[in-house]
Amino acid sequence: MSNHVLTIQTKNQPVVLERLLQVTRYRGFEVAGMEMKPMADFSGLLVTLSIVSDKPISLLTNQLNKLYDIEFLDCVESELTQAEAGSMRA
Amino acid sequence: MKGAELVIKLLEQKGVEHIFGYPGGAIMPIYDALYQSKVKHYLCRHEQGGAFSAIGYARSSGKVGVCMATSGPGATNLITSLADALLDSVPLVAITGQVSQAVMGTDAFQEVDVLGLSLAVTKHSFMVTDVTELEHTLNEAFTLAMSGRPGPVLVDIPKDVQLAEVQFKPRLVEDTATAQQEFLPAAALEQARLLIQNAKRPIAYIGGGVHMADAVAQLQDFLANSPMPSVTTLKAMGTVPPSNAYYLGMLGMHGTQAANHAVQQCDLLICLGARFDDRVTGKLAAFAPDAKVIHIDIDPAELHKLRRAECAMIGDLRELLPAMSVPTHCEDWLKHCLVMKQQHGWRYDHPGERIFAPLMLKQLSERLPDNSVVCCDVGQHQMWVAQHMSFSHPRNHLSSGGLGTMGFGLPAAIGAQLARPKDTVVTVSGDGSFMMNVQELGTIKRFRLPVKIVIVDNQRLGMVKQWQELFFNERYSETDLSDNPDFVSLAAAFAIPGHSISRKDEVLPALEAMFTWPGPYLLHVRIDETDNVWPLVPPGAANQDMLTEKAQ
Repeated sequence: MSNHVLTIQTKNQPVVLERLLQVTRYRGFEVAGMEMKPMADFSGLLVTLSIVSDKPISLLTNQLNKLYDIEFLDCVESELTQAEAGSMRA
Repeated sequence: MKGAELVIKLLEQKGVEHIFGYPGGAIMPIYDALYQSKVKHYLCRHEQGGAFSAIGYARSSGKVGVCMATSGPGATNLITSLADALLDSVPLVAITGQVSQAVMGTDAFQEVDVLGLSLAVTKHSFMVTDVTELEHTLNEAFTLAMSGRPGPVLVDIPKDVQLAEVQFKPRLVEDTATAQQEFLPAAALEQARLLIQNAKRPIAYIGGGVHMADAVAQLQDFLANSPMPSVTTLKAMGTVPPSNAYYLGMLGMHGTQAANHAVQQCDLLICLGARFDDRVTGKLAAFAPDAKVIHIDIDPAELHKLRRAECAMIGDLRELLPAMSVPTHCEDWLKHCLVMKQQHGWRYDHPGERIFAPLMLKQLSERLPDNSVVCCDVGQHQMWVAQHMSFSHPRNHLSSGGLGTMGFGLPAAIGAQLARPKDTVVTVSGDGSFMMNVQELGTIKRFRLPVKIVIVDNQRLGMVKQWQELFFNERYSETDLSDNPDFVSLAAAFAIPGHSISRKDEVLPALEAMFTWPGPYLLHVRIDETDNVWPLVPPGAANQDMLTEKAQ
């Protein structure tokens, strides 16, 4: 099980969060945490997704990168906290 | 002008000549704008049929297919076709009417969240909330549908946007995008050339991405300059001409024995525009077990998705294939594959008087005029078509590959006939599949389309029954269709003549009668319910462990 944090900049479209979550779920990854806020000039959204999975994260980032509304995606591996690991197993 | 008029003007400007659809309340302004337009609308009898016709149009022509539907049930009826287009990478633009924004979210009449529904079945989907965004959104939809890996794009347009006033200045000249110079991946290409030169048993595994990249000629040049055996997926049939001695046919669950054995034995698998689909690989861990892999695709997400490649390249096959071409050193391997091809050739010496579907389809293939289009449905007949008919180009074989959608064939044939009015179009269907979009006989009648319909009728859902026989202890749950209608009478109700045959000696005269008839025609072919498709790789087995008829 590995934990990754995806930092994603998107267009400011109402449906964009659904798209991100739909692709993440369908491709077999679990969301352990999520934050979203509009960019300072409201031109887009900044989304941070904490992802837990036993699959290579590239299988998700390659799919997310294809989304029309995604403008930037950065992926960093992070430590899985005890609480997150427990909640994922619950 | 109104937003609805802009939609039609923009379709005209983009050179769209044919669209398929079905009107309803929330899209009435667009249908009103369509009245007396240069864009020719084909009224189907079900939105799913209309979208499949648009898919058939796109796949047989290489253009974008366009379909329209109203809100609610009209839009939900498109969903299966959108999924079909997504899984087979077909460029499709679907335009749906939506209820006015003032009532959106109130569970208004014929309101459904089409944008939400579309997420899983489209490459992208838009909702236009402001009429000033309409032109840009529609242009983006067409660009997206065709660019990169093609796919379906949905544009949902609320009724108030259709009725709103907007400025639109038709452009006299289409924008011509400047072709971007693509930098070839030099290091990866050098690695690929070395792998090919050093391989003792190379094989090309060719998918639909080759012809979708318009790289059929480059692929054929590559195989001529770097001689090696080749196999194709269902979608790529016709990419390698049947005259190529080292072409071994389709691989996978119902692939040829030569194709499957060769792939299992190869030491270099060159995957071109294909995606290691489970119907191709069988047991993935045992697929081409000794092979290094070169994988080229336009979609980065396909690389390493299911099989790690030693050499992976993203890019345009038209550029990469010539740059990868080097002489091969595999004479013994070529001879071995030729021997396997001869050893495992098809046999047509089926005993008895009754019709043997593989032989009938071979005879159909031989009787077809050049450059005919064959549309299939899904099931046993679909696999028999892939095994026993020959195709000179992938645009001549339309089969629902990824989604495997019964009901695809008849409406797809309508689209193909409109895209290529001078070519003969045949749909080969099963008795189960045919009934799934049978209402489109009405479309054939209305537009006097000379589509030839061949129904291979075993009075069963044959493929499911075959699996019940082989893997479910002959428990034939809900696969009996022995109460089928009289198909010839059914066609007659739509003014389509037809004929029914059940003996081998009737096949050739019946094909002759069908092809000499100037209009649509239905040929009903009765076959035995016990006939199965062979070979077959059982679920979970490796591809060399095919079941054959003799083994049963």
